[in-house]
Amino acid sequence: MIVTYNWLKEYVDFTFNADELAHRLTMAGLEVDAMERFGEGLDSVIVARLKEVAPHPDADRLTVCQVDTGSEVLQVVCGARNHKTGDLVALAQVGTVLPGDFKIKKSKIRGQESFGMLCSEKELGLAEESEGILILPSELPLGRPVFAALGLKDVRYELGLTPNRPDCLSIIGVAREVAAMAGRPLQVPQTELAEGEAGIDTLTSVTIDEPAHCPRYAARLIRGVRIGPSPAWLVRRLESIGQRSINNVVDVTNLVLMELGHPLHAFDFDLLRGGRIVVKKAEPGSTFVTLDSQPRLLTAGDLMICDAEGPVALAGIMGGENSEIRDETVNILLESAYFNPLTIRRTSKRLGLRTEASHRFERGADMAMVPVALDRAAALIVQVAGGCIDRGRIDNYPEPYRERRLVLSVERANALLGTRLSLEEMLGCLRSIGLGVQLAEEQDAERLVVDVPAFRPDLEREIDLIEEIARLHGYEQIPATMPVSRMLCQRPAGHLRSVVQVRNHLVAAGFSEAINYSFIAPSSWDRLALAADDVRRNPVTILNPLTEEQSVLRTTLVPSLLETVARNLSYQGRDLRLFEVRPVFLPRAGEELPEEKWRLCAVWCGRREAEGWSQQRADVDFFDLKGLAESLLDSFRVEKLGWLAGAEEPFLHPGKSCRIQAGTRALGTLGEVHPRILEGYDIDLPVYLLDLDLEELFAAAGGAGGFMPLSRFPQVCRDSALLVAEAVTAGQVLEVLQAVRTSIVEDFALFDVYQGPGIPEGKKSLAVRVRYRSAERTLTEEDIQRAHDKLLAALGNRLGAEVR
Amino acid sequence: MKEQLDQMLDQGRSALLAAATVAALQEVRVRFLGKKGELTALMKGMKDLSAEQRPVLGALANRVKEDLEALFDERLEQVREMELEQRLASERLDVTLPGRRLVAGTKHPVTLVIEELIEIFSALGFGVAEGPEVEKDFYNFEALNMPKDHPARDMQDTFYINDDVVLRTHTSPVQIRTMLKQAPPVRVIAPGTVYRRDSDLTHTPMFHQVEGFLVDKGITFGDLKGVLTAFLTQVFGKNVKVRFRPSFFPFTEPSAEVDIQCVMCRGGGCRVCKSSGWLEILGSGMIDPEVFKAVDYDSSIYSGFAFGMGIERIAMLKYGVNDLRLFFENDLRFLRQF
Repeated sequence: MIVTYNWLKEYVDFTFNADELAHRLTMAGLEVDAMERFGEGLDSVIVARLKEVAPHPDADRLTVCQVDTGSEVLQVVCGARNHKTGDLVALAQVGTVLPGDFKIKKSKIRGQESFGMLCSEKELGLAEESEGILILPSELPLGRPVFAALGLKDVRYELGLTPNRPDCLSIIGVAREVAAMAGRPLQVPQTELAEGEAGIDTLTSVTIDEPAHCPRYAARLIRGVRIGPSPAWLVRRLESIGQRSINNVVDVTNLVLMELGHPLHAFDFDLLRGGRIVVKKAEPGSTFVTLDSQPRLLTAGDLMICDAEGPVALAGIMGGENSEIRDETVNILLESAYFNPLTIRRTSKRLGLRTEASHRFERGADMAMVPVALDRAAALIVQVAGGCIDRGRIDNYPEPYRERRLVLSVERANALLGTRLSLEEMLGCLRSIGLGVQLAEEQDAERLVVDVPAFRPDLEREIDLIEEIARLHGYEQIPATMPVSRMLCQRPAGHLRSVVQVRNHLVAAGFSEAINYSFIAPSSWDRLALAADDVRRNPVTILNPLTEEQSVLRTTLVPSLLETVARNLSYQGRDLRLFEVRPVFLPRAGEELPEEKWRLCAVWCGRREAEGWSQQRADVDFFDLKGLAESLLDSFRVEKLGWLAGAEEPFLHPGKSCRIQAGTRALGTLGEVHPRILEGYDIDLPVYLLDLDLEELFAAAGGAGGFMPLSRFPQVCRDSALLVAEAVTAGQVLEVLQAVRTSIVEDFALFDVYQGPGIPEGKKSLAVRVRYRSAERTLTEEDIQRAHDKLLAALGNRLGAEVR
Repeated sequence: MKEQLDQMLDQGRSALLAAATVAALQEVRVRFLGKKGELTALMKGMKDLSAEQRPVLGALANRVKEDLEALFDERLEQVREMELEQRLASERLDVTLPGRRLVAGTKHPVTLVIEELIEIFSALGFGVAEGPEVEKDFYNFEALNMPKDHPARDMQDTFYINDDVVLRTHTSPVQIRTMLKQAPPVRVIAPGTVYRRDSDLTHTPMFHQVEGFLVDKGITFGDLKGVLTAFLTQVFGKNVKVRFRPSFFPFTEPSAEVDIQCVMCRGGGCRVCKSSGWLEILGSGMIDPEVFKAVDYDSSIYSGFAFGMGIERIAMLKYGVNDLRLFFENDLRFLRQF
């Protein structure tokens, strides 16, 4: 909604300056989104008369003007061609700064001195485009600032209104709020109406077939109008709130719409077949052409204004092409009605047709304004377009407005707001915005009875009145306090803490967290080469996606991370460590909502270490990422971990990937991304990827673990190089060591793997280091030898390992 | 023999004084005092001495030994000190060469802000709740006093899965889910991902919010102001100016939009605050009695407030990020700055 300072001032005598008014409006809940000042700083642009216009001696296109300001005569050189001696013009005196930071200086143009500039409308910010300089009406006094003389010095406010305040979709509604702020009365525009002889009843009629959808319909007939351009005051007024003039009659309906907030419609009476109005439901499946020339397909829910034969307007939204005001129109039927908000909203939404009228009706117009707006518009039409108003008005009002009566408890209001306002203060607040307020009973200092007028459809409950009191008293006036409330122990849930633990672990390992959209393209499954029966191909689908690329919810994080890698590679980054911890969405049979399962996906490519002057360049490989996975799983104390060769994921390298299990729980997969898949994403270096199901990981997590007392006795280390068949895996060796370890084995590790010269074909060497220590005593050579021999024997027996 | 001992003492002293390195010192020591050294060799001749001479010369030999050893220790200390000085004088690093860095990872700024908010509200005694991102229309709209065809639904353009299931447009449904499970008092914040069908310079179809609410006996609008001011002071510093102004949300009444003084221009007016000097930072209000009805709380006994804020918005102001879309492009040059 756009309002202007000057227009508001016509209805309320307030003293706020432009900035104060903006602040007050915002703090009253009518947020000022933008403010535009007209004529500010332009008081030195004054009305002046061209006393003499002579051609420039040295330039064909210029004139040298003698300009009379009332107090002196100045010489000004001008490049326009539309001016002549005697014209009143807008003179920007030396020192003026015009819009666009254009400063007027004393100058010499082709040898002729110039003391100012004669301005065009464009230069004054009055129009987007203009030809020649502005020629002012001849009655303006010389020397006065042009903006003031034209009544154009003004401030325009653009209000961002909330949907609960349809009453402020008008100048008068905003003025009512300003009146409350200023403590001044609201001066409602008065209408004086001259009516003709003929009674409207004898000329037309209004029938309402749908009183639930149209509780009130009023009309007047104006005959003998001349459609034409609007007078300057009307054009300027509409322009002041950013509206374009169309013709005198339409401009009046628009003016009243803005002024009083009530939508009106003018029909060409001669185009109404049968000369009468019927309000009824549309014929389902029929088409109606609105005055924007668009055919509209109708359904049974749409409310239509019809004449004797068929629709002439889409009720409360837009008129029809078949009955609109034309240049030849002479007789007008003016409609002022009230329509059910839901009815208008449904039709407007279905058709995607939003108008100033529908906007107001769907939020709730003022039923009491129906005859007021009608009479005001009728009077103004006669004023600007001539004609005669027929006697009387039709006011078909089958469902009269029932005034709401609410009771307000002073104590309750204070208790909820944390205030100590008196009954009188509350009464004053509510009366200031035009509500009818009385004491519930004499001597009752606790309760107020409030009658809500029709212009405030949002006030339906006591709480709505409490809000009005808070608003009008001022939110700033309510003291800030800290609540008193019983203590509760509410540590964040385990799941949340575990997610934080995963993030912290990845960050400590040098990975940066990404957040991708939850929706991706359905083609992602093909890019990952998922099998036709893969459950991940069955996503949650969005009915109204923004684009096909964002039309299904993720069932896996992998495609997003690969896209993230590709995008970063295109920014020249090659050493990438990225992860994402987010839910995926898996539909569940028989359930309305999908399962939301948290997953971790981490990707790593490029160098193993940060680039530097002393580090050897080494690229990351499978075991770097596996190490990360191991340390992460260790931090959750996952036991019975298994690394099973072959991830069985179509997007991972079959020989360089594995499944991760804890007992029988599948935790996820890890490996090098399949070269063919990388090619599909335009990624030209190996990428290692970890994809974990966090719900499974958290379920597999072990407890806090116990403390092991520290031994005071020395540790002894024993290394052995074992020759085993090529097919024997490190995992098997470690498993045997784990199975047969005795209490003095502190720990063991695999520290070398070797194949090559010195090792027989088909064999490989695995070097293990076992650390021995006892909690009770210093171990002897024999203790260690015995224990170590036992390990070696077991490795020999079970895996055929020989000591090299 | 006495002369020999005196001479040995002199020779030893001068040799020790002449030795300039630890190794040379050791050599001198071995030469005179070692097992096969000169003093040992001389002492072997003691057995040929008379009984009177033996103790006298024995004592003399011991004194020579002690003198030399004392001098040796002294010299050793001096020479070591000297050698250390020399080594320190010769060893120099170019300390401006970069260190061997560990790669440090980074959390997404959205995560950082959510973690900070959880920390602040935990300190105020709030718990943390979560809810589904794919949500029933009932929780997302209807229970929040937004029946179908309500104009307030226009404030949020919605992604639909079907007629009754949506991608949640705000974190407020967690409020409903929590209150249906738990009787007052409740104090909870609910961070999470939300979706709106909107994509341009200043809107992304997915973003993050934190919802918070407190319900108990006697909670007032003044309490709402107190708690939110305390919170904003934690995030933006104790000098931040906060204002509350009337607004509208279907699920709160009275409702308040909360602004902070513009962090860019300090209230003077700039492009970021659209010359107003203020920045909208969160929406809030006293929970509407209709919402209490939907969760079966008695609004004649309990009252409470709720608030919600956009995480990206806070992150943009806190870190000075000028383009919302950067949050979801995952350019490492962006991510690594936090």
